[in-house]
Amino acid sequence: MRWLGIAVVVFIAAPLVIVVPMSFSNARSLQFPPPGYSFGYYQAYFTDMSWLVPTWNSILIATATTVLTMLLVVPATFALVRHKFRGKGIADLMMLMPLAVPHIVMAVGYYSYFGNVGIVHTHLGVILAHTCLSVPIAFLVLSANLKGFDRTLERAALSLGASPTKTFIHVTLPILRPGLIISALFAFVQSFDETVVAIFISGRGAETLPRKMFDSIRQEADPVIAVISTLLFLAVIVGVTAPLLVARIRSRRTPATA
Amino acid sequence: MSSYLKLSGISKSYGQFTALQTVDLDIKKGEFVTFLGPSGSGKTTTLMIIAGFEQATSGSVEVNGKSLFGLAPHERNIGIVFQNYGLFPHKTAAQNVYFPLQMRGINKAAGMRKAEEMLDLVGLQGFGHRYPKELSGGQQQRVALARALVFEPSLLLLDEPLGALDKNLREQMQIEIKRIQRALGVTTIFVTHDQSEAMSMSDRIVVFEKGRIQQVATPLDIYHRPETKFVAGFIGESNLVDAKVSDAAKGEARSAALGKVEYAVTDKVANDNDVTLMIRPEHIRLSRNPIEGRKNVRMKVETIVNYGDNALVIGMVEGQPMRVRVLGADVVIIREGEEFCISWTRDSVYMIAK
Amino acid sequence: MTVSIARLSAKTELWPWLLLAPLAVYMAVFFLVPLADVAIMSVTEPRPTLANYERVLTTALYQRVFINTFVTAIVVTLCCLLVGYPLAYLMANSNPRTAMLILLLVTMSFWTSFLVRTYAWMVLLGNNGPLVWLLSTLGMDKPPQLLFTRFSSTLAMVHILAPYMIMNIYSVMRKIDPTLIRSAESLGARGMSLFRHVYLPLTAPGIANGSVLVFVICLGFYVTPVLLGSPREQMIAGLIGNQIDEFLAFGMGSAMAMVLLFVTLVILTIYHRRFGLDKLWG
Repeated sequence: MRWLGIAVVVFIAAPLVIVVPMSFSNARSLQFPPPGYSFGYYQAYFTDMSWLVPTWNSILIATATTVLTMLLVVPATFALVRHKFRGKGIADLMMLMPLAVPHIVMAVGYYSYFGNVGIVHTHLGVILAHTCLSVPIAFLVLSANLKGFDRTLERAALSLGASPTKTFIHVTLPILRPGLIISALFAFVQSFDETVVAIFISGRGAETLPRKMFDSIRQEADPVIAVISTLLFLAVIVGVTAPLLVARIRSRRTPATA
Repeated sequence: MSSYLKLSGISKSYGQFTALQTVDLDIKKGEFVTFLGPSGSGKTTTLMIIAGFEQATSGSVEVNGKSLFGLAPHERNIGIVFQNYGLFPHKTAAQNVYFPLQMRGINKAAGMRKAEEMLDLVGLQGFGHRYPKELSGGQQQRVALARALVFEPSLLLLDEPLGALDKNLREQMQIEIKRIQRALGVTTIFVTHDQSEAMSMSDRIVVFEKGRIQQVATPLDIYHRPETKFVAGFIGESNLVDAKVSDAAKGEARSAALGKVEYAVTDKVANDNDVTLMIRPEHIRLSRNPIEGRKNVRMKVETIVNYGDNALVIGMVEGQPMRVRVLGADVVIIREGEEFCISWTRDSVYMIAK
Repeated sequence: MTVSIARLSAKTELWPWLLLAPLAVYMAVFFLVPLADVAIMSVTEPRPTLANYERVLTTALYQRVFINTFVTAIVVTLCCLLVGYPLAYLMANSNPRTAMLILLLVTMSFWTSFLVRTYAWMVLLGNNGPLVWLLSTLGMDKPPQLLFTRFSSTLAMVHILAPYMIMNIYSVMRKIDPTLIRSAESLGARGMSLFRHVYLPLTAPGIANGSVLVFVICLGFYVTPVLLGSPREQMIAGLIGNQIDEFLAFGMGSAMAMVLLFVTLVILTIYHRRFGLDKLWG
């Protein structure tokens, strides 16, 4: 088991690591080991509008998707977690449905539907589609958090003279904040990484970074992709380790004694 | 003796299930009253109705002559300490205590000063800047108490607040809570299923069972003069013997196991009524031979439960189990399986008509 | 009193619906309508008949794609299990530091975009890539074509989907009470029999979860097979893409999409009946 485990670790790590040296290569095409190293492709990425525009589009679309998703999901999650009512089962299922439908199926639907409505190849179209795909993920994260919420705290606040609104603002929201942030982060990443729907509906008008990467890999395998991959991987490293570091620093500062 | 908190005819049902049935209760200002009962007896439901978190199906709650009907929990000005304290994890101890003052529009400087004063009172000087998770269970308890008292509530409700603490700390907190309650003179209701807690802290105890009040009385009366068989069995150890009254005027009854038993006449009852006789184990003496002037029966010892300073000797008298409290020093001469004499006086037999 | 209680309960019935309404409307308009559009197109484009389905289900070329998709999904799921189970075991049974590091690695892999990982395999398996370079330095004079084969797309999909399997199995393994294993050992279970009769049944829920998830995602996988696979051995999602992108055959594309959706939903419904869907992604 042990050696097999180590082999698997290598299998998982190798592809993540390989893109880093490739991004510093000075070869014109994919070549390993690289004949020499330079920042050439970084320079290319940061000066080429055909890469920067899709990057900007993706940031814009993911941000809008996150905002829209949270506006819809937060109240709905409260309704579904905290209330019992007729039709709740169907509503629950409806929230999760987009996870069950393969993206290629949705892509066909959006391509035709948004074409008819006239918002295919627009930012709006991609945002509307991505929100649908982000909703279930944001919901799952948030509802898990909300289920774990100790409602005694709200009762305590009420008994101490806080109105329901003030209780929500001063107690519920701050305590739920980590859950809200993680939920929003999931929604953002879902949109930022989403490829299939974007390939079909973002078009030239709202080309996202994954779409541009897909096209580029398919056609010429531009080594700039290695740069983007390295940067995205770096973002993931920061995103995954930062919470751990913060937690470690916090626990060091406040010894759990007394 | 005017009543400060008045519950009249409170009932609560969930569909078919009746959680509370016509609860009536009067509590005086400054009194420390304990709701005692097994879980599901309705004590917490009653508390939640007073606090406004549950709506009674019928009946009314009045504080100081004013009905609380239609008031939301945050409009009732009642301080509550919850079972798990309900401290806000994102606020420091001082901020937790300041919270009710903040909600009442008191400015931060004055409010925080008051909060610190309150923390001093509960013995937490210098802990104001700590977050709840940096405090021990007992300290969290004190913060919760300070927070529930800082806004001078009309009532203080404590919902099994000591349940999570270990035994030593619990006793310490019982004394603390009592001290603080006396110092502030706040009318207090304390909910627990722990009888020793109820005994040691309360001015009066309200015993709940199956959604009804069984008895309201001082701790001593509850122990020595229980009104129902349930109260007699629930509070302390007791021997409960079914009997039939043979002479109501003299105080005599017959039991299948013990024969003729004389009891102290305290309650009116007719001849031939079925009653329960209660004899506390500590009122029974164990001896080799019968003792003059006492009711004597022979008992075969079956089990000895040792508590160190005392022991409980359990045996059988004609199919009736009897428990006898024996001093720790005496227990060494008793063997399981041996026969002894057990005896008691008329005064220690208490007759329960219900 | 009775009146106010009736009003109260009416209010509490209405409130959740008010909170839910915006999302419900949104999902109806932007999820159900496009989905229904696909269903409608599948029987109306170009003419209102069931001809599309007939062609999809009877054409040998398409049948081969379906079979290929299924086989690939099964192979990928099994490989993920083969890769994921030992790693999850290693994580659950090593010291916290090692477990943490492996978890960190798996989490990073999970969060790294499908595209990035697909691209990485392109680099690794390319004709001028490290694997070929390694094989030739080891003395193989004519290294095999790795890229754009069934091998490369399967390998990359296993790599991409393995974290789902690992996380699912690990979360179950971590909760296994060690005293259970010890008591089984005290009762005489050893080695393989301990594994077969105690450990495997205990981890079965994690295996089921992970496998269903990997299988279902793999069935509808578009990006990796299209970029890394052999053009002659398409998977169904790629085929649907072709119909739309190249031939503008919306009817055919939709009919294929409906078939894919149907199969996916059947699997998930069976799963839902037994375990509940919300567990799957939790």
